Amino acid sequence: MSAYTALTAAGYRAQVRDKATLFFTFAFPLLFLVVFGLIFSGQDVEETGRPYISYIAPGVMSWGVANAAVFGIAFTLMQWRRDDLLRLIRLTPTPLTTVLASRYVLALAVGVVQAAVFVAVAMLPGFGLTLDGRWPLVLPALVLGITAFLAIGVIVGTYANTPEAVAAIANCLMVPMAFLSGSFLPLDMMPSWLRQVSRVLPLRYLNDAATGALTGSGSLATIGTGCAVLFGFALLFGAIGLKTFRWSNRT
Amino acid sequence: MTTDSNQPPGSPAISVQDVRKRYGDRQAVDGVSLDVRRGEFFGLLGPNGAGKTTLIEIMEGLRQADSGTVRVLGHSPWPRDTALLPRMGVQTQASAFFVRQSAREHLVTVAGLYRRGPEAADRTLETVGLTEQCDVLVENLSGGQRQRLAIASALVHDPELIFLDEPTAALDPQARRDLWEVLRALKSEGRTIVYTTHHLDEAEALCDRVAILVDGRTAALDSPHRLVTAAGAPSRLLLPQGRLGVEEAAALPGVDRATVQGGSLVLETATPGKVLQAVDALTGLDGVMTRTATLEDVYLELTGAAHPGAAHPAAADPGAADTAAGHLGPQAGPHTQTEHQA
Repeated sequence: MSAYTALTAAGYRAQVRDKATLFFTFAFPLLFLVVFGLIFSGQDVEETGRPYISYIAPGVMSWGVANAAVFGIAFTLMQWRRDDLLRLIRLTPTPLTTVLASRYVLALAVGVVQAAVFVAVAMLPGFGLTLDGRWPLVLPALVLGITAFLAIGVIVGTYANTPEAVAAIANCLMVPMAFLSGSFLPLDMMPSWLRQVSRVLPLRYLNDAATGALTGSGSLATIGTGCAVLFGFALLFGAIGLKTFRWSNRT
Repeated sequence: MTTDSNQPPGSPAISVQDVRKRYGDRQAVDGVSLDVRRGEFFGLLGPNGAGKTTLIEIMEGLRQADSGTVRVLGHSPWPRDTALLPRMGVQTQASAFFVRQSAREHLVTVAGLYRRGPEAADRTLETVGLTEQCDVLVENLSGGQRQRLAIASALVHDPELIFLDEPTAALDPQARRDLWEVLRALKSEGRTIVYTTHHLDEAEALCDRVAILVDGRTAALDSPHRLVTAAGAPSRLLLPQGRLGVEEAAALPGVDRATVQGGSLVLETATPGKVLQAVDALTGLDGVMTRTATLEDVYLELTGAAHPGAAHPAAADPGAADTAAGHLGPQAGPHTQTEHQA
């Protein structure tokens, strides 16, 4: 059996057997959809006249996917290093790239399933999201977004040595980023300087591309720009992640 | 098992030359040189903090020595050499398991990391006696079972060189004895085993040679038998108390010291044969036990744990040595104790 197959199979079993993480990954973003859906039910955003749901649904979906990508790999790496499992892997001929590739495929699968479940729920009559014809363009955006946030998660998982540290660092990154990137509140409602600040945040570009693809707002160029910037973030954080990777807590 | 064609026959499995490693202001390994021969069962002994783990991790290629040379199966273990790694097996911490997997699923995954199939995992589970627990989640295994699974992770890919770190530490006496048989079988297949332990009776029973590390240096390096012989520690005769007066016994020719300990009259002597004869003539040998020096005596003398004036702690606590000797099976190597029947 190849190392890649073995690791991916073990990762899949660990994922589906972990009920708490399954809930956190798949149901938690839906909870936000319900809360924001109730608050802004039937309202339109004043500045643009578009319904809230068309902002909130792609935004919360992007945050949920990004959050799961960061937390999933960060927890796994922290735990594997703490339990000395990384040392075990280090002593086998399996290269680090194979280990990360198996985690990458798992993260992509989780993210795509998350997005599909989320969009399906958002299209229910109570929420009333309607998909634009160019919705398939959300797939490249998701793949690139998951790649960028997985790379961020690798860095978090390298520096955090405890579950508490993973949760603290990842939440400090992801919660403010969600608000500042327009995942929970439409950016169009924010002051223009905040909108400028959001341009340094990777989640902003995943939101833009996902919103553009799912609801048809904005131009195709917005989706293209979003994907291109996410690709850049993925390269940058991926390089940092590989550079700073540690096999063991012991020096 | 693979053999390395570009290596001369008879070259050592591991060669360590003047290896040093410093952490901050602590010299963990301070100029160690030793060879582990092919097919040898090599014990690395020493108190906690003596540098055993650091030295083993340098051999495994997990750490880089500050200076000195290390060759493992003819290769340098540092930097990570993916051609060398499949030829060695390393027992890791008993926590290094893939989460939420059964014992078998974990081992199949480890086998996969070595590009081996699930049948290798099943065979190894049987070797370490975990076949019955193969469907138990690793989180639910007992301490001893986790330890055996960690050992299995070191064996699953059929390595020719095996590193084991206190493999019997968390095992009950039966499991420990079972593991001895596993280790002996591995050795009989020609594999080289390097292991650490705090069970000195076990090292004496299993190891071809041992190195005793103290403060990062090798304090002794030889076969257990030669170490014990060379140490020249006295033998002890244990007589049921009351059979002979202490002063009377001390006056016997050849007796260096006579004391009463734990219900026995203990005679220390360098000439046990002569003293036995004398005791036989006086009281008979019924219930008389002789105890020769053990590796533990040598170890404690070298590591300085023995109290001044009581260099042979087995005498201070005869029960401990009895227990240790009691673990040794009929085929378990040197007997340290003999009961004489009249």
